[in-house]
Amino acid sequence: MANHRVGETGLTDSGPSSNHHHHHHNIPYAVLHGMNVPQSFMHQEGPAFDFGELEEAIVLQGVKIRNDEAKPPLFTAGRPAATLEMFPSWPMRFQQTPRGSSKSGGESTDSGSGVNTISSKTENQVEPESPISKKTSSLDQQQQVDMASDISRTGTSQNQSAAAKTPQEKRRGSTSEKQLDAKTLRRLAQNREAARKSRLRKKAYVQQLESSRIKLTQLEQDLQRARSQGFFLGGCAGTVGNISSGAAIFDMEYSRWLEDDQRHMSELRTGLNAHLSDSDLRIIVDSYISHYDEIFRLKVAAAKADVFHLITGMWTTPAERCFLWMGGFRPSDLIKMLISQLDPLTEQQVMGIYSLQHSSQQAEEALTQGLEQLQQSLIDTIAGGPFIDGMQQMAVALGKLANLEGFVRQADNLRQQTLHQLSRILTVRQAARCFLMIGEYYGRLRALSSLWASRPRESMMSEDHSCQTTTELQMVQPSQNHFSNF
Amino acid sequence: MHYQGDYSWGYYMSTRSIGSDPMERVVKLASEKAVVIFSLSSCCMCHAMKRLFCGMGVNPTVYELDQDPRGKDLETALMRLLGNSQPVPVVFIGGKLIGAMDRVMASHINGTLVPLLKEAGALWL
Repeated sequence: MANHRVGETGLTDSGPSSNHHHHHHNIPYAVLHGMNVPQSFMHQEGPAFDFGELEEAIVLQGVKIRNDEAKPPLFTAGRPAATLEMFPSWPMRFQQTPRGSSKSGGESTDSGSGVNTISSKTENQVEPESPISKKTSSLDQQQQVDMASDISRTGTSQNQSAAAKTPQEKRRGSTSEKQLDAKTLRRLAQNREAARKSRLRKKAYVQQLESSRIKLTQLEQDLQRARSQGFFLGGCAGTVGNISSGAAIFDMEYSRWLEDDQRHMSELRTGLNAHLSDSDLRIIVDSYISHYDEIFRLKVAAAKADVFHLITGMWTTPAERCFLWMGGFRPSDLIKMLISQLDPLTEQQVMGIYSLQHSSQQAEEALTQGLEQLQQSLIDTIAGGPFIDGMQQMAVALGKLANLEGFVRQADNLRQQTLHQLSRILTVRQAARCFLMIGEYYGRLRALSSLWASRPRESMMSEDHSCQTTTELQMVQPSQNHFSNF
Repeated sequence: MHYQGDYSWGYYMSTRSIGSDPMERVVKLASEKAVVIFSLSSCCMCHAMKRLFCGMGVNPTVYELDQDPRGKDLETALMRLLGNSQPVPVVFIGGKLIGAMDRVMASHINGTLVPLLKEAGALWL
């Protein structure tokens, strides 16, 4: 069967009745044999040659075949094959019985609408001489109902049009060839009209799908962002998106660690304000150091499970991720941040802090260079030249990638050592203030990430934004003290 | 940095009388120079270790075990010494075992590495 969709424009018939003798030789091979002609899929204008003539020719062909064979209805579940539905205006060959009874209605019963009852009613009237106008009106009615209810259906629009064609087909079977000219032409015109409407419906549906797809990716991005900002629902971690279980577990542990962090910081704050004795303060400071030791322990397991999750910083907020070094904070940056705020320091302490900054810088530099060499080695393995032994090369590359874990571990080790050394250089009170500063600093970075995510964009109303900001702040920081230090 | 991987093996071959046991060889090699790093040329953590010492102004002696005919034995000995599966990188300062990268980092941060280097004569000032 030819692709009848291709050339339909409207009700105008370009081929007069006398031209319905076989013009097959003008038809491209692909079209004649029902192959897909994709360039005119949504094409409303017809191509150069006359599809009306083609239509008529093949209709006559179908009529002849039907009159020759007495084939029983072929459909099984009362539905035409999906491919046949693609060519809605094409007469359905297997509609043998003039009495469609409920089956012709059943053809379009994908979603079992009331439209089918209308169509079955009209189709059951088998009159060889039934006036065209009556059929026209019934078909129009059917098509209108189709249009109203069909936008959201999947591919049933073609069913409706297909079903609409069947009465025409049945009529044709019982009319003599002489009468075909007038009726057939009008029916064919209706075919074209219905097919055009069907194409429009399909277009609308596809557009709807596209916008839904865009919305979906948007939602996924929002979800990812929300999760990384620490607004984390512990239970659903492993099931959402494509996050590995090791990463999900670590994210949960990290969010719990952040809650503990808040608790420790308020302990430090109250301890400092209450002017506790040094030994009492020492306990609080030591417990804060152990609190950090714990996250480094958790990161060891996380590096083993999913090093990329750590090294890409997907466990942190965007602002923290911006300054990420090897899966965490850069120790020398932290010291730089602290230096100005740790006054007053003794000369020995000043020397100690500067030497700590210096040695951490050297260690960071060494690790960075080691990682760069790893990168280069990886590039050499998988890039350039013929991919001679693919599996071998990939195996080697995988082995090299495994070294990433070691670098993240050494970086975390460096971070841990730096914090320990700080507590050794400083007095207890200084250490308490220092760790409070560190906690507040990262808390503000996290708050910054949230504020950034909810900052006003063109589409947002200013009132909405202010409400949202307040909520964000309340959600991010249980205590408002952090912002008093700004 | 002195690489004892290729041309100097002749010298060590001539002193084979004491060098047959890999552990003894390790100890011997480690005590001959102020700072000795056992490494593998393909290992990037070893590269980081070398960069660390060079960055401090130290001139370490590096043995690339993959370029040593008996390197495998040395690797095994180092694994036993360190008690883990990663034989390299490992550093000896003044003949004394310092350890792998994590120990070296820790000692650099807590300020004990530089005095050790000075003591061994690898650093001045």
